[in-house]
Amino acid sequence: MSLEPADESDHEGWMERKDLTPIEKGYLTVLVWLDRRLRIVDYLEILENLYYKVNLQMPKSHTEQYNLDNKFWYWYPLYALGSLSTIAYVVAAISGALLGFYYAPAAAEGACDIESATVAYCSITALMTDINFGFFLRSLHRWSAQVMTAAVFLHMLRVYFTGAYKEPRELNWILGIVLISLTMVFGYTGYLLPWDQLAFWAGQIGVQMSLSIPLAGEWVAQLIFGGFTLGQATLMRMYILHVFFLPFVVTTLIAIHIGIVWMQGIAEPH
Amino acid sequence: MTDTDSDSEAATDGGEEVRADGTGIVAPDDETPTWRERKERSQGLSRLTYEYFERARREDQDLREESTYVERDVLAFPTWPHELIRNLSITFFFVGMIIFLSATLPPHIAAPADPSTTPAIILPDWYLYWSFGLLKLGPLNPEIALLGGQKLMKDATYGVIANIVVVGFISIVPFLNKGAARRPVEQPFWAAVGVFGVTFAATISALAVKNLLPIDPHLLFDLALLLPFVTGFVTYALLKTMREGYMFSLNRRYYRLRPPK
Repeated sequence: MSLEPADESDHEGWMERKDLTPIEKGYLTVLVWLDRRLRIVDYLEILENLYYKVNLQMPKSHTEQYNLDNKFWYWYPLYALGSLSTIAYVVAAISGALLGFYYAPAAAEGACDIESATVAYCSITALMTDINFGFFLRSLHRWSAQVMTAAVFLHMLRVYFTGAYKEPRELNWILGIVLISLTMVFGYTGYLLPWDQLAFWAGQIGVQMSLSIPLAGEWVAQLIFGGFTLGQATLMRMYILHVFFLPFVVTTLIAIHIGIVWMQGIAEPH
Repeated sequence: MTDTDSDSEAATDGGEEVRADGTGIVAPDDETPTWRERKERSQGLSRLTYEYFERARREDQDLREESTYVERDVLAFPTWPHELIRNLSITFFFVGMIIFLSATLPPHIAAPADPSTTPAIILPDWYLYWSFGLLKLGPLNPEIALLGGQKLMKDATYGVIANIVVVGFISIVPFLNKGAARRPVEQPFWAAVGVFGVTFAATISALAVKNLLPIDPHLLFDLALLLPFVTGFVTYALLKTMREGYMFSLNRRYYRLRPPK
């Protein structure tokens, strides 16, 4: 569909009709030139709105508007769980990037004097004992991951029990399920990285589980664990999944998830 | 207003007395200029900018009207500012909580990996217990008489399929449950399904760690499958009983103002 600009939008004709001073003419020419290219009117509108809203009262919330339960704020923490998990994800990302400076994903024999310790295990014990704030950093990463997972589960329950998954929001519900699953995969791959007893045997369960998938089992085990016995290949794959693959995928999906919430608005509680 | 012309001082603010204690603040009336009017009154270059931007907006508006694009309204309240301002204040409190937790409860690291010694307790992280528990539903795997009492699939395969079924069911919920109802009291059945699910997640997680719990494993297995039904039925009965009273006040306060579609 082709649209011809209406006569009204003939800005140059408008300027000639206006009988302007040279300063006004120069100003308008620059303004129109910039606006035709960058459409600053849109951004100016945002700034204008912000400017005029600063001194105004915040618009009434839904509950105030309809005079609903005035104790509704009791439930606000449950409505903040999505944000909480996002913030916890950001904290985990930052502390994880810092941990990445010290961690080495190798299953070869480590240099520390702990019996049968691998390079990966030794890099973590070194982080915990030798590096300033290293123990705290690991702790922060671990706890933010735990909090994120817990918050995501509770967020899902909140969405379920307030019916916020209903009609225009089905896609976001499904996207949320994908995200909660990826969060658990994130947690699982991270759980395996220290390569201690817990990690090794959790990995063993993982291999058994993928092997018991009908038809595709062996292929899945090869792809994700790099074989049927755990070793360097497994550790490397978990590492790449945890620090390269999943961060890109999950960050993108979180952005889409929040973008959809932004576009659709918060499902009205009542 | 001719009477007040003699009193030139009072006329500058509309002839009303000004109170400094804040009690004189009233809602804008018809005589209060709107922001648009205030902007329109400005002079010179700002006036020109205003005129041009009005034209530019008009141009966009015309284009929009000529196109087939339709703006639909969505039943919701805005993410910004209502939700984000609340959420940010609450979430930053929780970030403090994360930092406090990590400073006071640093994580444990187990002995190095040793393929030759199987530890007594093998567990994934807590959030995978439910999935791990579903793998232990082997006793429910049907034995088929035609195959001579053999199982159709391995217990482990059965567990993996149980996982797929659970996640699959959760993802089709929005397509099964439609309509404007939001509160649990408005939809006792779906609330009961939710409570069933939560209880099942808890009991199946307990089943996953059965060697840590001081309960007879057979009893635990039976409880894991029975408790969800019990809590589900109790929820359904409670909500059905409460429903009438709640719906009365909901109708009075909410639906009269905004009737469901």
